Amino acid sequence: MIMEQLAGNMVQGLVLGSVYGMATMGLSLIFGVLKVVNVGHGAFVMVGAFVALFFFNALGLNPVFAVPAAFAIGIVLGLAFYYAAIRKLLHAPELATLLATFSVGVLLEETVKMIFGSEFRGYNWDLGNVDLVFTALPISKIFAAFGSVLIALLLYLWFKRTRTGSAMRSVVEDSRGAEVCGVNVDGVYAMSFALGIGLTVASGVLLTMFIPVGINPYMGGGYTLKAFVIAVLGGLSSPYGAFFGGLVFGLIENTSYTMFALIPGVEPFALTRFLSFLILLIILLIRPTGIIKAK
Amino acid sequence: MLQLENVTKRFGGLVAVDTVSLEITEGEFVGIVGPNGSGKTTLFNVINGVFYPEEGRVFFNGIDITRMPPYKRAPLGIGRTFQIPRPFASATVRENVAVGAMFGFQGRTLNVEQSLEVADQVIERIGLAGHGFKNAGILTPVEKKFMEIARALAMKPRLLLMDEAMAGMHPGEIDNVVQFLVDVAKEEGIAIVAMVEHIMRAVVNMAEKVIVLDYGEKIVDAPTREALSDPRVVDVYLGEGAKEDNADG
Amino acid sequence: MKNRLRPYYPLLPVFAAYLVLFLLGRNVAGMWQLTATLLFYCALGQAFNIFLGMTGYVDFGYVAFLGVGTYGMATAITGLAGYPQLGLWAVALGFVLAMLMATLLSVAVGAVALRLRGAYFAIATIGVSEGFRFLIEGANLWNGSSGMIFTSQLNKLLGRDLASSVMTFWADVLVLAIAVAAAIVTLLYMKSKIGYALTALREDEDAAKVMGINVTRYKILAFITSACFAGAVGAASWALKTPYVFPPEVFEIHYTIEAIIIVMLGGAGTMLGPIVGALIYGISKYYLSIFLPGFQLFIFALVIIFIIVMFPEGVVGVIKGKTRRTAIAPYIL
Repeated sequence: MIMEQLAGNMVQGLVLGSVYGMATMGLSLIFGVLKVVNVGHGAFVMVGAFVALFFFNALGLNPVFAVPAAFAIGIVLGLAFYYAAIRKLLHAPELATLLATFSVGVLLEETVKMIFGSEFRGYNWDLGNVDLVFTALPISKIFAAFGSVLIALLLYLWFKRTRTGSAMRSVVEDSRGAEVCGVNVDGVYAMSFALGIGLTVASGVLLTMFIPVGINPYMGGGYTLKAFVIAVLGGLSSPYGAFFGGLVFGLIENTSYTMFALIPGVEPFALTRFLSFLILLIILLIRPTGIIKAK
Repeated sequence: MLQLENVTKRFGGLVAVDTVSLEITEGEFVGIVGPNGSGKTTLFNVINGVFYPEEGRVFFNGIDITRMPPYKRAPLGIGRTFQIPRPFASATVRENVAVGAMFGFQGRTLNVEQSLEVADQVIERIGLAGHGFKNAGILTPVEKKFMEIARALAMKPRLLLMDEAMAGMHPGEIDNVVQFLVDVAKEEGIAIVAMVEHIMRAVVNMAEKVIVLDYGEKIVDAPTREALSDPRVVDVYLGEGAKEDNADG
Repeated sequence: MKNRLRPYYPLLPVFAAYLVLFLLGRNVAGMWQLTATLLFYCALGQAFNIFLGMTGYVDFGYVAFLGVGTYGMATAITGLAGYPQLGLWAVALGFVLAMLMATLLSVAVGAVALRLRGAYFAIATIGVSEGFRFLIEGANLWNGSSGMIFTSQLNKLLGRDLASSVMTFWADVLVLAIAVAAAIVTLLYMKSKIGYALTALREDEDAAKVMGINVTRYKILAFITSACFAGAVGAASWALKTPYVFPPEVFEIHYTIEAIIIVMLGGAGTMLGPIVGALIYGISKYYLSIFLPGFQLFIFALVIIFIIVMFPEGVVGVIKGKTRRTAIAPYIL
């Protein structure tokens, strides 16, 4: 019985984890190229969630359509914030970009709150379930996982095959060297930031499959922490590392929840959140450059 | 005073410093010479504690400092300037230089007041007298270089590592600075290891001995005159053609 | 002949500001509430400045220290309620406990996080307040998510009348005292080797190391000091004013945001900055909540971005620059 439950949890964990991973890729990309930590990460995820909500409730369109729309919105937001603020702070002390991205996050939360109000909302995209022996997987979640993997794959190809993709990789390796070789570093920065934000907002749509009623302007905070744990797990600068880190994290989160639920007198949800923080600290202690070595 | 034994420093596959051994005695003025990428800055970083070598050992006054963190080496008497000056921009020149005194060789015995006095003296000596109360951030590049040197001198080092300190100055300025350093060094008994990328006439005339690095290896370690006429050195810089020129004229 | 008191001149504006604030609060009808809030912001900002301002590191989990301080006072009061003869000593012990717990937490977090460089440090701290809150709720410490209410215990210890005046007046006076103490400590640090070391490591950590500064030691010192004051503020302003504590309330990131705004607005790393920042922020927020409710955080987020890009040295920083060679320079720090 326990084994079944555990197996079921692991599958669910992987499914969720793939979306977590995809959600973190943008964070790692931005840090890898610009060396900027986007502390407002969660707020962008939240924006994506609201895009999905809006598409479903107001436009009657299912999330498949919301994903590209969210991506596009993310690109626009990313470019806007890059040119308005980030660009000027690239040579300022670290403190500056940390606070700036943090404030941008707050700005987004408040804006969304002003437009949509702060109640919890949700929507229901019920396509039925796939019944596995030990658990039932809603098709919407499978869609989300599939979407995540697809996007990760597309990103991989894009980096490997396109010129701009290679330009970005060269800037990650050595920005001064890339400049000397004629790469428009500022352009690469702008694109990377925009791409990173685009990925993040798009992931918000996919994440809504897992939070039927939890969408609200302040939901981002929890995802920021999770994203950082995952990013650090995967090596802060590698988007692929982030993806695999997400899978690992999804697994850990789900199984630990089941485990904690077995202990009397504790609240498993809260303890799972505490666990993720503990993992973060431990990894930062031992190996800040990440446990997973992915390029 | 300073001894390096077979020090090797690698970065991944790249060997930046290759089995280098050398010795610096008290009060010596040594020039370290070598083209870009020959490992000079890495060598300094190892002596300073910014990097720890993979192999070999570093001794200072008999103490093994190979794996000692940089902040512990300063009170022992090792001071350093950086090629691109690193001022503490929001503090005044005086305060910057005082930091050197506060945490350097005599740091233990100096309080804030006294450190500021030392700073004033050094600033006076090096010719930055009017600038003491200016914010370090607004100095001109050359003034920043002088402040960098002043700050290092305020540490009252026994060994001063100078990283391309004179890059960007005209020959006249260089001569002055070098003369100033030689005088100060003689007075206070400081050993100076000055790193230069090109064979600079001024430094080389003051240095008692020259160490030449090429691709991380030490190829020459000899008194100045000898070192400069060594064909290997000429090779490293100028290639075959120059050797012949030299032979002719 | 140097005036031996000269280094302490900057405390004059501090005392003046608080005196004015206090007098206004007591003598203008209905002002005490606002004054109390402003005092809280002053203390919060002053404490936070000791770390953010002096080291340049951002602790996103700062509110955890306030929360822990609140729990410390709560524990003391509920624990000692059975000995009413202790009276005010219980409160004193509450402060000791609050600061002790805050110190312990800061040592625990600092030991891990302070070895990391800026960005990694910020990441590590993001989860601190969350993590601690979920630990309390998850493991049911201190009553877990139900929180603690200790009004009756406070009444038992101090008697109704004293308890009431503590909650409405003396708690705020204590906050004022903490704010002043934090300002004095800031001044002492800034004038000593500690201040020089912190400035150096803030500006260029690697160069500071090479100059002989043990950066980790100084970071930890600033961190613990800042945390300790935060614990005291939590104990006074949260536990004593409103004798109940609920995990989600005392670990809200909202307060860290406010602390950041106050310090950056006023001038990070200056001694007077937090007071100026607290006053501007507190008063603006008060009026904004009347005229444009719900917009405060939005506007202030914009303000921070503006300050970071245009005036990173904050109001007092700018003033300091402009008054450098004038007569009032010794009073501005």
